[in-house]
Amino acid sequence: MLKVKQGSLAHWAMRVACVLVVAVLILYIPTQSETARIGQFASAFTLIIAAMSLNLVLGYTGQISIGHSAFFGIGGYTAAILIRDHGWSPGYTFYAAAVIAFIIGCLIAMPVLRIRGAYLALVTLAVAVLFPTLLRWKKLEWLTSGAKGIDSVKYDKLPVWPILGELKGRDGRAVFAYWLGLLVLVICFLICRGLVKSRVGRSLIAIRDNETAAAVMGVNVTRTKVLIFGISASLCALAGVLSTLSTGVVTPDGQYVTLLGSIIFLLIMVVGGAGTLSGPIIGGLVYVWLDNTTRGIGTDSRGVVGFIFGWTNQSPATLILGMALIVIMLFAPTGLVGLTRKIMGRIVTIEPQSQ
Amino acid sequence: MERLLQYVFDGLSFGAIYALLALGLVVVFRGTGHLNFAQGEMAMFCTFIIWQINEWGVPLILAVAIGMLFGFVLGAGTEATVIRSVAKKSPGGVFVVSIALFLGLNSLATMIWDRAEGYTMKSLFPNKDVDFVRILGAEWRYKYIGVLIVALALMGLLFLLFSKTKFGLAMRSVASNPESARLVGVPSGLVLASSWGIAAAMGALSGALVGGINGQLTPSLMFSVFIYASAAATLGGLDSPGGAVIAGLSIGIGEQLVAGYAPGWIGQDLKLSVALILIFVVLLVKPSGLFGSLKVERV
Amino acid sequence: MSLLRTEGLRASYGQVDVLLGIDIEVNEGEMVVILGANGAGKTTTMRAVSGTVARGGSVVFDGIEIVSESAEAIVRLGIAHVPQGRGTFADLTVEENLRIGAYIRQDSVDSDIARWFKTFPRLGERKSQKAGSLSGGEQQMLAIARALMSRPRLLLCDEPSLGLAPLITQELFGVLKSLNQEEGLSVLLVEQNANLALKVAHRVYLLETGQVVASGSAESIAGDERIRKAYLGG
Repeated sequence: MLKVKQGSLAHWAMRVACVLVVAVLILYIPTQSETARIGQFASAFTLIIAAMSLNLVLGYTGQISIGHSAFFGIGGYTAAILIRDHGWSPGYTFYAAAVIAFIIGCLIAMPVLRIRGAYLALVTLAVAVLFPTLLRWKKLEWLTSGAKGIDSVKYDKLPVWPILGELKGRDGRAVFAYWLGLLVLVICFLICRGLVKSRVGRSLIAIRDNETAAAVMGVNVTRTKVLIFGISASLCALAGVLSTLSTGVVTPDGQYVTLLGSIIFLLIMVVGGAGTLSGPIIGGLVYVWLDNTTRGIGTDSRGVVGFIFGWTNQSPATLILGMALIVIMLFAPTGLVGLTRKIMGRIVTIEPQSQ
Repeated sequence: MERLLQYVFDGLSFGAIYALLALGLVVVFRGTGHLNFAQGEMAMFCTFIIWQINEWGVPLILAVAIGMLFGFVLGAGTEATVIRSVAKKSPGGVFVVSIALFLGLNSLATMIWDRAEGYTMKSLFPNKDVDFVRILGAEWRYKYIGVLIVALALMGLLFLLFSKTKFGLAMRSVASNPESARLVGVPSGLVLASSWGIAAAMGALSGALVGGINGQLTPSLMFSVFIYASAAATLGGLDSPGGAVIAGLSIGIGEQLVAGYAPGWIGQDLKLSVALILIFVVLLVKPSGLFGSLKVERV
Repeated sequence: MSLLRTEGLRASYGQVDVLLGIDIEVNEGEMVVILGANGAGKTTTMRAVSGTVARGGSVVFDGIEIVSESAEAIVRLGIAHVPQGRGTFADLTVEENLRIGAYIRQDSVDSDIARWFKTFPRLGERKSQKAGSLSGGEQQMLAIARALMSRPRLLLCDEPSLGLAPLITQELFGVLKSLNQEEGLSVLLVEQNANLALKVAHRVYLLETGQVVASGSAESIAGDERIRKAYLGG
């Protein structure tokens, strides 16, 4: 059992070590791995950003939302429409998507966030299912291209960034997607971190724990809820833009544009650890790893895995995820992050500085 | 005139199915304060079980009965094990668990019964082209009449259970005041599990009826029905069983009328969105629905 | 004959210990009152006996140890708890409230219902009304009648006078007193209204921050100057 004083040299050394490990990993992946794996990480980043955005609203402020897939889709479609129909350069679509999603998010939040609990869940469910239906609506086809979606959305020529140099071809695109995703992820993380660690963050938690008490303590509950929802919508839209730029396509049945997307964001957030900053990151990485590992499972598998799952042709990924979620809720409601903290707590304790 | 009657006849049957599933949602919400997001998928899973047993040679009616029993055990078992433990630690977690069940049951069904084009589901009622009765010019197919009668019969049984039996009274007392229910010796655990069990059994029946009407059985069978049922439960009031029935029937009829009289605007895709918009509007204007009480959500 | 005896009874809400070891006794046919300031642990003591709070120590009812029994089992053994604030089933009718009170019984309850409608005529008048629409006094009568439907041997009554007009309170206490004297119903009562309680009770316990600080017959407690000054408003 190690005891380390907060602020001491040993404490700093620990933190620096953690950061170094992460930095090494981040650099290692795009330079040493194959394209497919780089692509997996890029899509993981997208998911993590979406989960982080949901975390602001659900993890910290306690507002249930299974409608965030709509904002993801708004981001993706905004980018696609601007690039294809208006010739925008992809980089600027991030800003446009963020602003549009913020406005729509606030507009939706204003009437909706008066509602709570099961009722709020139902409303956001309606939003999530309504959105793809609207996309398919014949009367809106002039904008959305209806059911077939919009494709060929991409950088005509990848921008040249310092250090990275000029990237070409499929491999180049994959590496670029990785670094772009990482950049957006870091920005979103810093935004979330800044919000959470400030007074705003404390009012969010106050609202989550007891709205009436928060109001009595001077928090402007309505304004805070609406604004944080708007910010959350923006961040989720950024994830949507990233996704569209990486895959080049956006459709109403797209992976995360439907209700299933909202559910996956929720899943990731809870498994990783709701209400923590690193929860969505861990959750996203675990999900992508699980998804890719279980993809090949089926009638070809051998051994134990073959024994359990050999009888089916379908990938058991979502089933495993569902069961993992139930197990987490039963035994580790604070998610993997909470679990890790508990375990680390037995190995090392950080003692606060004595006054 | 015949067109209107046609829409009403068909709408009543679909509405009765929505009402059945909506009643399941209401029973659980009233009894436990939670929304069972997996209500539709539980129903779908039980319907597959019914189909499977029928494939193995059991007569359909018996298979439906067994499926409903299976549903009861599935629902009660889920509540007694997972839901109760999670509810103690974090009330919001129950919703997350029901989402996990939604996902898990759907994947499990897709894995077990994995034919892409689905399976043929037999109807409980005579279903040949000539099986209908003509009333004032409109055709009322036997299978639609049958669905309406069965669904109404089950709803009637449920109302009898609640209003005339001791156990039904016990269930209502737990819904009204759980602490006092304990103080008079009502076995709360049994009541909670039964709420989920009854809801799942009703879901199983509504799945069987839907499958019979559709003819085709796939894992996505009950999703849109779940949306309609949610709309019905919301409109009627999440804690009002009578409201769920009235709202369900109304939505069923309304859906047929809207799709029939305004196909250009609405058409097939957008039928569901009418229900979704309805949920949206009701919750913004009067969250307790038409017949529900003003109690705020119990979490 | 001792009907209820607690020894070292402890109770807690989560991490907070509220009862620190309570020794209380109720003999058959007695009416015992627990007095004390707010937060002393009176309600918690009731809940510890009826099994609706986390508890430890010993609670013996009619020779049976019930400290680990479930609330439902305790009702079946013959204890009925009228909670603070009435706890009526607001959505059920008055008659349904009485009927569910007899849940644990297998025999016919119609005669009991008729009897309580006679004792509390106002309940009889409103028998098909939803309990939530009744006045405070009527709800208190309903809560007591509901508890008595299970034909308990020991009635736990938590602050029945709370929020009620003096006239209604007297009527209620009159009913309790007559049930105690004429039918031998044992009653454990929690009250803030000390003067009224001392008039009807046989014995008194005084609770302060989770412990018994004084006990004795009603007369001796009522006559004790120090206690009067400290707890009973002189």
